[in-house]
Amino acid sequence: MHIKKIQRLIAAASISLSVSAALMAPGVASAQGTLRIGMTLADIPLTTGQTDQGGEGQRFMGYTAYDALVNWDLTTADKASDLVPGLATEWKVDDADKTKWIFKLRQGAKFHDGSEFKASAVVWNLDKLLNDKSPQYDPKQAAQGRSRIPAVASYKAIDDYTLEVTTKEPDAFVPYQLAWILISSPAHWEAVGKDWNKFALQPSGTGPWKLVSWTARERAEMVPFKEYWDKTRVPKLDKLVLVPIPEAATRTSALRSGQVDWIEAPAPDAIPSLKQAGFQITSNGYPHNWTWHLSRVEGSPWNDIRVRKAANLAVDRDGLSELLGGMMVPAKGHVLPSSQWFGKPQFDITYDPEKAKELLAEAGYGPDKPVTVKVLISASGSGQMQPLPMNEYIQQTLGEVGIKVEFEVVEWNTMVNLWRAGAKSDQVKGANAINFTYFIQDPFTGFIRHLDSRLTAPNGTNWGWYNDPEMDALFQKAKNAFTPAEQTKALQEVHEKFVNDALFLYVTHDVAPRAMTSKVKGFVQAQNWYQNFSSITVE
Amino acid sequence: MISYLIRRLLYSVPIALGVSLMIFMLVHLAPGDPISAIAPADAPPDVIERLKVDYGYDKPLPVQFALWLGRAVTGDLGRSVATGQSVSGEVMSAVGNTIMLSLCAALVGFTLGAGLGFVAGYNQGRLLDKAATAIAIAGISVPHYWLGMVLVIVFSVQMNVLPAVGMGPGGSSDWAWDWAHMQHLILPAITLAVIPIGIVMRTTRSAVAEILNQEFVQALRAKGLSERHVLGHVVRNVAPTVLAVMGLQLGYLLGGSILIETVFSWPGTGFLLNTAIFRRDIPMLQGTILVLALFFVFLNVVVDLIQTAVDPRIKRA
Amino acid sequence: MAETTLPGMVPDTPVASRGYWSSVFRRLRGDWVTIFCLVVLLAIILSAVFAPWVAPVDPYKTSVIRRLKDIGTPGFPLGTDELGRDMLSRLIYGGRLSLLMGITPVINALVIGSLLGIVAGFVGGKVNMVIMRTVDVFYAFPSVLLAIAISGALGAGLVNSIVSLTIVFVPPITRVAESVTTSVRNLDFVEAARASGAGSWTIIRVHVLGNVLGPVFVFATGLISVSIILASGLSFLGLGVRPPEPEWGLMLNTLRQSIYVNPWVCALPGLMIFITSICFNMMSDGLRAAMDVRA
Repeated sequence: MHIKKIQRLIAAASISLSVSAALMAPGVASAQGTLRIGMTLADIPLTTGQTDQGGEGQRFMGYTAYDALVNWDLTTADKASDLVPGLATEWKVDDADKTKWIFKLRQGAKFHDGSEFKASAVVWNLDKLLNDKSPQYDPKQAAQGRSRIPAVASYKAIDDYTLEVTTKEPDAFVPYQLAWILISSPAHWEAVGKDWNKFALQPSGTGPWKLVSWTARERAEMVPFKEYWDKTRVPKLDKLVLVPIPEAATRTSALRSGQVDWIEAPAPDAIPSLKQAGFQITSNGYPHNWTWHLSRVEGSPWNDIRVRKAANLAVDRDGLSELLGGMMVPAKGHVLPSSQWFGKPQFDITYDPEKAKELLAEAGYGPDKPVTVKVLISASGSGQMQPLPMNEYIQQTLGEVGIKVEFEVVEWNTMVNLWRAGAKSDQVKGANAINFTYFIQDPFTGFIRHLDSRLTAPNGTNWGWYNDPEMDALFQKAKNAFTPAEQTKALQEVHEKFVNDALFLYVTHDVAPRAMTSKVKGFVQAQNWYQNFSSITVE
Repeated sequence: MISYLIRRLLYSVPIALGVSLMIFMLVHLAPGDPISAIAPADAPPDVIERLKVDYGYDKPLPVQFALWLGRAVTGDLGRSVATGQSVSGEVMSAVGNTIMLSLCAALVGFTLGAGLGFVAGYNQGRLLDKAATAIAIAGISVPHYWLGMVLVIVFSVQMNVLPAVGMGPGGSSDWAWDWAHMQHLILPAITLAVIPIGIVMRTTRSAVAEILNQEFVQALRAKGLSERHVLGHVVRNVAPTVLAVMGLQLGYLLGGSILIETVFSWPGTGFLLNTAIFRRDIPMLQGTILVLALFFVFLNVVVDLIQTAVDPRIKRA
Repeated sequence: MAETTLPGMVPDTPVASRGYWSSVFRRLRGDWVTIFCLVVLLAIILSAVFAPWVAPVDPYKTSVIRRLKDIGTPGFPLGTDELGRDMLSRLIYGGRLSLLMGITPVINALVIGSLLGIVAGFVGGKVNMVIMRTVDVFYAFPSVLLAIAISGALGAGLVNSIVSLTIVFVPPITRVAESVTTSVRNLDFVEAARASGAGSWTIIRVHVLGNVLGPVFVFATGLISVSIILASGLSFLGLGVRPPEPEWGLMLNTLRQSIYVNPWVCALPGLMIFITSICFNMMSDGLRAAMDVRA
């Protein structure tokens, strides 16, 4: 009957389908030397210079296609990463007037479109972020870049290869600030019709990689820029392909099925099976801090130093490490223990529940009168690692010493707003801590912006309204330490106070795990949010 | 008939207006302001203010709505807050990808569904019927995004015969009708087809059973008409109902693919929506939902017309 | 999914006789498939209601060392989740929220939609036009899209999700109710009742309700599985119930990351959704078959 015929057709079709499927394996890495990276981002970052989407955006679309005046040293794994000359070869502050900086710029550097790099380009780029009357002002890039250079008051080109920057007050951290500012090609902007949207389609910077094509939400393709000014960093690969895959499980599937060669941030649970399947896992500490930012508003239980210390002693960081498959560095302070700014704090942060209970008893708390704290946490978010399991685990261990933790779970976008709003805002609904992860790679972003008494909402991100003149004085000292030795010492003193006063709940630092096929060679994972892709080859 | 068509089209206009108003309200009701997606967390307040002005968020809501609607009517859906590219451009290319996926899913779903429905209808009450019905009910009961994940594990990771994500080695701009690209369609299309299989099957089965049980079919058979003729008769009679359901399912496939596209990173309108929602990209969100909803309104009109043409009993007021 | 009224889905000739319901029950009693599904559903519902007594352990207690244990581990018959919580207890407790998010919106929509539909169908004219055109605006959205859009606007959370899903289901129920009411209103015996002086309320009570509620109810039971799946989809996208509450869709989401460590455990919530949906659907089918007045 007709039905039987249809049934036979279906059977035949499915047999032929499975045979052909077996004959053709999908997604084999195409040409020699192409690296396909699966990013955690949901979309290709802004391509015009100042990237968006945080550290990962800057990692893949910032320092790849562009340079700043000051770059980061991304070539070694075993020491803290520091600043190195980028498009500026040297810089120093004027001895007489500490608000004046002179930058000597690199000669012979070219943009991707062929135009020459000169001081006027830097002025042009700073105008793009700071001067809203200039034709090249770009609100999107300004939103990203302006807050990174709070010290800059004015700037001018002395000659083609000398730049003078004047700051509002003496600030030794100007080089760190300028390391954020990426230099786009003014000539190219003019050539595409003075339109940033057109520039975005075909960008031009001075970086080692040239962006040749990109499709929103799907992929971006970059090729080496052979005329890059640093001959040691001209990329060896033929092509670099970036693919946004925000779902962790999907990302792992993509790696395992051969569709990409490298994924950022595999889910920690997937790592053992990835290792078993023959993939390489790289990781390294870097200036990342997963912490509870504590409220110091009146009435907050965290105002008592004994409570703060007790909480820090009550977190079982080794147990947490098991949760994360070992992919973390237990915190001993605000920065990594290996950081040059760690110093020698006296408060030793370990797991000591007995001491914690003692301290709480001293403070007047006990099993019948527990401390109650309310913490804002998010279910996900850039850099937040595995916020829910981690926070629940901390809740349990803190509960064991008599600190009752209550959570207010919000989604990531709301979280960012609550962080901006500050602890005194009604929006935080009485929460007295916020679980936020911090980029602690430079002194201002790492230390000052959290605890400077002038930087409370809405002027800054001192979320907890912390106010201690002693700390402000230490910050001032550091800002006025213009030699490297002085600066390191001053920042060590800052860090020692951070730890001795237990100003945050110090939990852990991420190690940026990455998984890649065994064919990827030559990658050195620097202790930095950003990475160097130039030395990589794919067999 | 023509007057009904015109009346129906005219009704679509206030519906479209209502749809756009609702979208606008929904999107602006959402917690979290639009600027938080474009500015980094620690941007100073004056930068945020400036951004609000640049994007027009400082104007009162009704004014914003009127401006948006005015531009939308001319086809300009604004610029994406996140990428700066034209929303209409992005939506149109995404719609193309979703249509491709939906049509493949429709192909699989409708043929299998109708086929199973016929088998069941012809074998009412017997084992084949029960088996086919079981498949159909399973189809509409399974959480399809979960099924997608399972298929990825089995076919991509374990057996390594089909890819897990995306639309092909070169992305969507690089589409070609060869195996390297078409293999990316298979898993998402199958996953998406599961629900239409169920619904089409059940509708077809009940329609076929109804026709076959009518007395005049027995009469036709008694008169000696061949089975083939009877089948033709059945097909002619169930076609309108089944086609109407297929039309609506197509609408569901186009608009409801967000979960599948998320699991497979398929660059269609669903994926676009997902990213727009979480990045608070308001122009993109408004534009995408508007296009999808208008598509659906149009589809509803077409289905209504088919229904009315076939069965004049269903005249609406 | 857009399910709509079609000629085949609604009885064309409603019969308002008392013997009708007893014949419905007779038919149901003989349908063992439907009875079986009913029993399974009752088991799930009862275990959800009596969860504190049925579940072996505390579904919130985490343990870092006991993560993702296999099915059949002593003490944890269905294994543990990514935080070391017992899966069996989580699934039982999860049934509460999942069923709640599945059934409540449908009940709400049943009440609201029937009301709107009967009013629209009975009164007709301008009232009908206003109600039905408003319904059309909502109908313009595929249900998944609408649920996500509304949930996105209201924010995550149990109550918001229920509101969102109720709004999604009111339009289809209204449409079914209106369509049946319209066809009943125009039937001969209703004319006869009016002619004999019966008031509108009497007509509604005796003739309309009896004939409309049946098909609407059957239609609604078919929506329950859709509601459960939509609700779990919302949680999957982070728009539904918030952690650490156990809910099948949310569990599916959070276990997704661990799918390479213990795929069987990760599949369990999906299985529960599947079983529950199938049972509701089969029951709905059985009801429809029993209530269908076909020879």
